[in-house]
Amino acid sequence: MFGAGAMTNSIPEIRDTELMFVIGSNTTEAHPIIAMEMKRAKRRGAKLIVADPRKIWLSEIADLHLQIRPGTDVALLTAMAHVIVTEDLHDKEFIAAHTEGFEAVLESTRETTPEWAEEITGVSAEDIRLAARWYATTELAGIYYTLGITEHSHGTDNVYGLANLVLMTGHLGKYACGMNPLRGQNNVQGANDAGASPVFYPGYQRVSDPAARRYFEEAWGAPLSPDDGMNLNVMMKTLGEGMKGLYIMGEDIVLSEPNTTAIEEGLNGVEFLVLQDIFLNETARFADVILPAACFAEKDGVFTNSDRRVQRVRKAVAPPGEARADWEIICDLARACGYEMPHYEGPHEVYAELAALCDQFRGISHERIEAEGGLQWPCPSEDHPGTPTLHGDGPIKGKASFQGIAYRPSLELPDEDYPLVLSTGRTLYHYNAATQTRRSSGPLAKQPHNFVEMHRRDARKRGIADGDLVQVSSRRGTVVATVNVSPRMRRGCVWMPLHFPESNTNRLTNDAGDPVTQTAEFKVCAVRVEPVRGPVSVGEASRQQ
Amino acid sequence: MKVTLNGQVVDAREGDTLLDVCRREGLDVPTLCQDDRVDPMGSCRMCLVEVEGQRRLLPSCALPAEDGQVVLTESEKVKRHRAVLLSMYLSDHELDQDGLPTERGTGNKLREHVLTHGTGPKLPPIEAPRQYRVDANPYVHFDPEACVLCNLCVRYCDEVEAVAAITLAGRGAGTTIATADNRDLMDTSCELCGGCIAVCPTGAMTEKAALGSDWREEEVVRTTCNFCGVGCQLDLHVKDDRVVRATSPEPGTTVNDGNLCVKGRFATEFIHHEDRLTQPLVRGEDGQLHPASWEAALEVAARGLLGVKERHGADRLGFISSSRCTGEENYLVQKLARAAFGTNNCHQCAAT
Repeated sequence: MFGAGAMTNSIPEIRDTELMFVIGSNTTEAHPIIAMEMKRAKRRGAKLIVADPRKIWLSEIADLHLQIRPGTDVALLTAMAHVIVTEDLHDKEFIAAHTEGFEAVLESTRETTPEWAEEITGVSAEDIRLAARWYATTELAGIYYTLGITEHSHGTDNVYGLANLVLMTGHLGKYACGMNPLRGQNNVQGANDAGASPVFYPGYQRVSDPAARRYFEEAWGAPLSPDDGMNLNVMMKTLGEGMKGLYIMGEDIVLSEPNTTAIEEGLNGVEFLVLQDIFLNETARFADVILPAACFAEKDGVFTNSDRRVQRVRKAVAPPGEARADWEIICDLARACGYEMPHYEGPHEVYAELAALCDQFRGISHERIEAEGGLQWPCPSEDHPGTPTLHGDGPIKGKASFQGIAYRPSLELPDEDYPLVLSTGRTLYHYNAATQTRRSSGPLAKQPHNFVEMHRRDARKRGIADGDLVQVSSRRGTVVATVNVSPRMRRGCVWMPLHFPESNTNRLTNDAGDPVTQTAEFKVCAVRVEPVRGPVSVGEASRQQ
Repeated sequence: MKVTLNGQVVDAREGDTLLDVCRREGLDVPTLCQDDRVDPMGSCRMCLVEVEGQRRLLPSCALPAEDGQVVLTESEKVKRHRAVLLSMYLSDHELDQDGLPTERGTGNKLREHVLTHGTGPKLPPIEAPRQYRVDANPYVHFDPEACVLCNLCVRYCDEVEAVAAITLAGRGAGTTIATADNRDLMDTSCELCGGCIAVCPTGAMTEKAALGSDWREEEVVRTTCNFCGVGCQLDLHVKDDRVVRATSPEPGTTVNDGNLCVKGRFATEFIHHEDRLTQPLVRGEDGQLHPASWEAALEVAARGLLGVKERHGADRLGFISSSRCTGEENYLVQKLARAAFGTNNCHQCAAT
């Protein structure tokens, strides 16, 4: 692997690329503006390879659509690596100069022939060969992926599989190439950069490194814990037992986390919960104190986007009633808890404190962004212009290492009782817990309630017609939704969005996760779909469950 | 390549149009139907220039620059053409009491051109037999009387957003922008990105919510969109402490290149929604949430969290920060967890 979880290249570079390999990303719906760049590249003659179980919009304009079975990405990626090696298409110079451990890939892909992968993925061996050849032999080729890669019990292996392809073909450290995870939230990059992580202080300095700990103890004037913390997935698994108290800012864990019923049971055992948000969400039912916060239009600060660009958020209007900016609330809460948080004059002073503690952000300040616009980290000094393309002179830390990986099936596969594979995701019109978009007229008119996309033959077999109400059940729960008989689906697979509290798709999802990151398998679980009889609305039916 | 522009010899690059060269040299050649994000169409005839050796004026937006070209952008012939063309536009456009094109949306380029370049003889108004249709979609308002048929909205919808929901329809003076079968926009392939509004040079396409709002009275605040991770720059237009509309900055200036999606451009209703939390709430003995002062609520919150730490240890506390909040706020939450409470149990939804 190489470097931190961020796009190696910049969004505007996409228009100039010659090949896009989009895998596990429904870009037109989840990142519409990046999709516009992809459409532009396509119009300019770039090739487009899409790997997705659904016939998503991008697959309609793709040169090659690999309609894989959900959860079989590793088989596809190792077979592509097999083709590249056996047809001698790898970049030996790059491998020798910038990488180590190529033997591990040689070893682990010896048997992963396209014919073997065809059995597992459902994609023809010929298409796998074609994809591998195109990707390896095109000069400017970028990989673009999102949660369709990571939200699996083998999510880490999926990422390794992609990184191996990037490294063996030398598509790194060059314009319009690279390995590009498209980040899901406005500031998920910035939250990690700022150290909202159980294992990293700000700037990816390790909690387990004693020197880093001493550095931050001195900066903050307090003793710090030497132990790695729990990540969110582990916290959610130990609610009520390991987790006795929670402070939650701006997240609806009841709607967003997998296996809702287990989350709710866990929350009943939590002794104290503080919730800081702009609306009452589903988690508010369990809160002891609720602190009203300002939304993005009512405060100052920075968001860091997918291509590591630190940009300003500016206050446009006053918050409603007594609501206050989150940063002010946190400072006051810290003081009420007996910790002397400095009296910052504004977010610019908070950012200055953060930047002074981290090499990659040291050259960034509110003042500079004000004058120059967004800045892409690493930006180590005030006269540094920022870094649009990472790894321009070889991978960040020494040599990038290949990882040998092997295909493992997803944890919950369809069987007689639960014969369909459910994947979940986001739609164009709504956003995650949808507290914002469900209060907007367009999204409400386009998608008022939960639905399940299904292949026509799967529907017919169950006596279900387009628009019927159905009951979708997994081993963990049941929800009611409207059927959308869709030409986008593979047979045997169904798909649901995650935006609707009254029909919460996460009652179905599997909270079993990846062994390294514990990221839950939102993209694969086994369900059954049955018709609902009688006059009942989606909301009513779900409430009766 | 060298091009002679108004007597000055200037450099041109491979792939340049004459308009590209003019703009690089700081010449203000007027346009209506041109946008770098779509292929040139040359339909509005505003950008016509005189090229030596050519009998007719030619559209600079669609004409490739060639070595040795001699070009005039401000000759008498060009000026006369512009004035007559603008008169023709005025004869089929809604005018205000001063006889100027009505201002709408965030401005009217036709009006600016008339003010800058003047008009020729006044022509009798055209009674155009256009079809009116009230569209039920919540966001996009279209007024055919202010449309100059530059076709930018149709081309943007086809080439940039690539959904081709709208089209030119009708013939002659009755030509207008429509959907297939005159369906409501909501029943077409439209994804409500609002790009048609952003590219419209005259304000014929505008935000329904901002109809009647005078854009000169709006304060514009540049910020970053709060939805996905693309980091689109967004101009919030504010009037009376309320966000009345959101627009995209000029193409070519920010990461989103003038584009926005349905959420960024239109999903701002939540900001002023009546469901917003406006005061701290504390759960009482009765199990219900009750309004409280900030001081009291923070006191209860601090006591509750410290109590858990005392009873079970700091590592039984979890701090869930938010990838929706700012970098500064995330920094402060992890500092709260680590420095104030002594635990590294701090994370946010990047866990997936």
